[in-house]
Amino acid sequence: MPARRDFCGRTRREFLWQTGAGFGAVALASLLEEDGFFCKPARGAEAVQANPLAEKPPHFAPQAKSVIFLFMYGGPSHIDTFDYKPSMIGMDGKTVNVKTFGRGGHRNQGRIVEPRWKFQRYGQCGKWVSDLFPNLATCVDDIAFLHSMTADSPIHGSAMLMMNSGRILSGAPALGSWVNYGLGTVNQNLPGFVVMLDPTGGPISGAKNWSSGYMPATYQGTVLRSEGSPILDLQPPLGTTRRVQREMLDSISAINRRHMDARHGDDALSARIASYELAYKMQQHAPEAVDLSTESQETLDLYGVHDPRTDDFARRCIIARRLVERGVRCIQLYSGGAHNDDNWDAHGDLEANHNKHAGATDRPVAALLKDLKRRGLLDSTLVVWGGEFGRQPTAEYAKGTGRDHNAYGFTMWMAGGGIKGGISVGATDELGSAAVERPLHVKHLHATILHQLGLDPNRLSYFYSGLDQKLVGVEHVEPIREVIG
Amino acid sequence: MPGRIFVLRCLFLVLYAGAQAGQVGFLSAQEVDFAQEVQPLLARRCYACHGPDQQEGGFRFDDRDTLVVEADSGEVPIVPGDPGASELLRRIRSDDDSERMPPEGKPLTEAEVALLEAWIAGGAEFTRHWAFQPVQRHRLPQVRDVGWLHSGIDAFILARLEQAGLRPAPQAQAEVLIRRVFLDITGLPPTPEQVVEWADRWSDAKYQRLVDTLLADPAFGEHWARMWLDVVRYAETNSFERDGAKPNAWKYRDYVINSFNADKPYNQFLREQIAGDELQPVTPESLTATGFYRLGLWDDEPADPLLAEFDGYDDIVTTISQAMLGLTLNCARCHDHKIDPLTQRDYYSMLACVRDVTPYGVRSDQTGNNQIDLNPEVAQRHEALAQRKKVIQRRLQHIEKNAIVKMPAPDQRATEGPERERVLREKLAEYTTEKLYAEYQQLKRELEEILAEQRRLPPRETVLGLAKVDAVPKPTHILLRGNPHSPGEEVGPAFPSLLGGGAPDLSAVPEGARSSGRRRALADWLADDRNWMTPRVIVNRLWLHYFGRGIVRSPNNFGLMGDPPTHPELLDYLATELVRGDWSLKRMHRMILLSATYRMSSRFDARAAAIDPQNDLFWRQNLRRLSAEQVRDGVLVASGGLNSQLGGPSMFPTLSAEVLASQSRPGNGWGNSSAADQARRSIYIHVKRSLPVPLLKVFDFPETDTSCEARFLTTQPGQALSMLNSQWMQQQAAALLERVERECGLDLTAQARRCLELVTSLPPQAADVDELVDLVQRLKQGHGLSDRQARQAMCLVALNLNSFLYID
Repeated sequence: MPARRDFCGRTRREFLWQTGAGFGAVALASLLEEDGFFCKPARGAEAVQANPLAEKPPHFAPQAKSVIFLFMYGGPSHIDTFDYKPSMIGMDGKTVNVKTFGRGGHRNQGRIVEPRWKFQRYGQCGKWVSDLFPNLATCVDDIAFLHSMTADSPIHGSAMLMMNSGRILSGAPALGSWVNYGLGTVNQNLPGFVVMLDPTGGPISGAKNWSSGYMPATYQGTVLRSEGSPILDLQPPLGTTRRVQREMLDSISAINRRHMDARHGDDALSARIASYELAYKMQQHAPEAVDLSTESQETLDLYGVHDPRTDDFARRCIIARRLVERGVRCIQLYSGGAHNDDNWDAHGDLEANHNKHAGATDRPVAALLKDLKRRGLLDSTLVVWGGEFGRQPTAEYAKGTGRDHNAYGFTMWMAGGGIKGGISVGATDELGSAAVERPLHVKHLHATILHQLGLDPNRLSYFYSGLDQKLVGVEHVEPIREVIG
Repeated sequence: MPGRIFVLRCLFLVLYAGAQAGQVGFLSAQEVDFAQEVQPLLARRCYACHGPDQQEGGFRFDDRDTLVVEADSGEVPIVPGDPGASELLRRIRSDDDSERMPPEGKPLTEAEVALLEAWIAGGAEFTRHWAFQPVQRHRLPQVRDVGWLHSGIDAFILARLEQAGLRPAPQAQAEVLIRRVFLDITGLPPTPEQVVEWADRWSDAKYQRLVDTLLADPAFGEHWARMWLDVVRYAETNSFERDGAKPNAWKYRDYVINSFNADKPYNQFLREQIAGDELQPVTPESLTATGFYRLGLWDDEPADPLLAEFDGYDDIVTTISQAMLGLTLNCARCHDHKIDPLTQRDYYSMLACVRDVTPYGVRSDQTGNNQIDLNPEVAQRHEALAQRKKVIQRRLQHIEKNAIVKMPAPDQRATEGPERERVLREKLAEYTTEKLYAEYQQLKRELEEILAEQRRLPPRETVLGLAKVDAVPKPTHILLRGNPHSPGEEVGPAFPSLLGGGAPDLSAVPEGARSSGRRRALADWLADDRNWMTPRVIVNRLWLHYFGRGIVRSPNNFGLMGDPPTHPELLDYLATELVRGDWSLKRMHRMILLSATYRMSSRFDARAAAIDPQNDLFWRQNLRRLSAEQVRDGVLVASGGLNSQLGGPSMFPTLSAEVLASQSRPGNGWGNSSAADQARRSIYIHVKRSLPVPLLKVFDFPETDTSCEARFLTTQPGQALSMLNSQWMQQQAAALLERVERECGLDLTAQARRCLELVTSLPPQAADVDELVDLVQRLKQGHGLSDRQARQAMCLVALNLNSFLYID
């Protein structure tokens, strides 16, 4: 069946097995392509398109080249941030009938915790934003707010998996893996899917959140650090200089080439030789990407570098921009890590928790949007903000302001990358307890992200376990058309 | 220049492809094979609208009768023997976008159209998909070069090669073959001394002796168990937020190792895993085997408990059907299978067979359902104490809870974390009554006594498995759209109709039995000599690991969407041999290993590659990369540090702080193991779902959440970074240096030679020795490295060579 053999005489699956793809491997592909490694199309354009390693053409003209996902881990309270609920003013402490479902289970009644921050109107669109985000509020004309988000689970473990991979069960590839699988990556020397964690620790389920699931591990997210060695095992041990490593690589290469010369026709051997050269290049380029010494003082100040509250997130936001400039497709930044009040999971003291996390991110996120915009990058960079769910309008405990989880309705926002600014889609009820107008599901968000990157969410599929698996599931899902410019 | 080689090779492929255009099925050009070639194409491109699910136009491509008569349009889709009159061909060839079929995706290729044309011209006969027919015992094909044959396998391989005008590659030279069989059977490379010893006076008889020796080595089970663990989604934790450990999961791993080493008949091996608690006799071993059911994901805090329950059953049905039957029955959870003749009824009937399996646990009792006591008497004494403990704890919690609700919110919040004990110690008295506080203190003392008593008891001996099952399972319904909240018609236990169907006879289950007997029936059906999928699926897995790909390249999917077998008759031959040999797997290993096919050299041959670039016909052995475990174990063998202790609890290699930082509680669930334990084989590394070990992951250790049919074999710079820079590799390079110093003294050339020899198991090439010696000089003279540093770098270089990483 010649028709099945499109990849230099292999089947698609074999080709993937033998060569891998994604992190570095795409780079490998282009490196090898220079060597004439990949055969030219035998018939028409079919064979060229079928090469899974090269930067792949999108399904249609993309509006965004990269996506930065600012993950507010723990679940920010929507009614205290962007979902203005004036009718709740004055209701603090009142017991109301409202259906909620959080880690405390299902309840039908609760004590209202009135939003703890004042709201003001901002921008030409007149968007109401709480005092938690005075800087970000100045960007509302670039932002599309999604007020009617819903998810399948109000429990961190499964909800994190859902926001990252579209399913409440682990084992499926993360959004960034899908993007790398769909588009390949343009930069030879950096991973295509980068994750930057909070200094307090990873999110619960750790690496499951950026796993490539049933796809090859080459599509998985790479954890990038802003301090120390940016990538695991990137740097040679102390005492091994770059020139020493070059000598070692030369010896490896010399011996491996002799080995290969006795084994014509086994492409894996030359691919492996090339992979060492790529590793060597990455050692040079990855540290450069996270090095902020060439950033101007004005830029550092804009983001809030050196202000102890914002320093860490500011640095990571600048790195995110630098990665975008270097062609990295998908960058995920975690605000918050570990447990309890190290992230947005405000079960105890809502005010202290949100003041802390909004305070750490407001200025850096606003700066990121402004910086991208003035550099002409916002048009091609999709920025997504949100957590795995929102929070309830009522109190979790008899006393205090803590709110339990809420997956019935919450807010996320998108900006740049062809997204219309200054608009809001959907609405929750007057307490913010559930989406009532134009309910949106996580899969609509995923569909929109893929769509902006030029991928048809209903077409991007990976054959596994007898099925054409898709990020958005088997049933047709429309992107959120209202926000697409 | 490799570049030039590739240009030439690609040019060659282009020419070859050109010559093939329009030709149908170059492997057997004489006739079109409906089941292997036509049906998969129809399934892929036509079934969506004209198939089991939908019949637009009134016809379906899985039913010939509807195709050879007038369709709703008045045209006849297929006129057997007359391609020109067949509307199907006109439509797929049409240049008009609005007419051309299929309407979505790319038009069919010329070769595909030619295939359909040839098929229609030949009468458009339907034959049943190869895998959906019983195994047939084929006669050994006639071959010209009978002198090449070592086993029945070879006749099937050689016949096809001769048909295509190809010659098999010569037998690999002794040293190469010795290294290959060591790695393939035990997973470990031979020492250079072993290679020399076995290669001495090399003969066929000596090779056979080597194979038998290695098959009897316990390392065989350690290596091959990993194959099965991949397939049954083996991991030792539950995933999700807590990713809690599954106690005693390692005993299941040891069960697999021991079963393979003891050459347990494969059908018995399956029986024990499916119904080890229902067999006669039930043994500690067979109970351990039921750990099979407990290896999957488990969410201790599901948002939708009913859905989670059925996700649990789905995990089991999926694993059984893919791992043991090569069927993707999971595709029929929400609707009938879109491609294969598997219905939703089949899915839920299979689910009914395992309906007595209880969930892994509940959050308040994470062991009761899954920890089996092997010594019931000791268990009872423990149980009695636990009961007393529970009553006291409940009372304590009641007192605590009543106090906590009166505390300020920050204190309440603190009681949910590690601070709980402190808060209670400091504040409980203040928020409770005096009387209750006194009771609280008294209960605390009683609890201490119970704990002390518990410590005095002999430990419970428990294994992971089916500790509790439902003797009278809940009814099973077909779930509409797979939604557990929309039950449809009730179904009983039954086997897929595709494989002959039938329902188990459960009349023999006595009143008051511990379990329903359904799994026993399922096990017997799976393990029956007449089940034609079970033996095919396992022999294909063996083949995969000896040749780098299965006879069926999709080992978990023998259905229409899977890859057709390149040698269907050979597959059936092996399947019948397995059953004939009373399901002995070692006999099958031996048969494959002794074949001339396995023993071929992996040398490239341009002429053969031009005819068969994918090596579909096996004109040579495939060059294969080591698996993740083989890489790590092989490094340990070379450095001399491998600890070959068999079995026991899993160990934890040291992970760097940056790796642990990816956890929400860095270090949580990851233990400390002694250096000696850390030097054990990779199969003993604790498998934690949310914390993959980087060195293994980068070399394609699989995702453990679902069955892995065949590992990816990627090549990526992360591997180079790990092999050059990781702390573990640095340590191993240092150990290798110590070893060569010990064995060769300080002579650099001798060290270099020994290094290469230890890493590749084979006598080194002089030029490679010179390269390493030269490297040491360059590093010392040009870069100021100390002699020791330079020699350690040499060792690290040796461990990075392709001659280490690949099996010829």
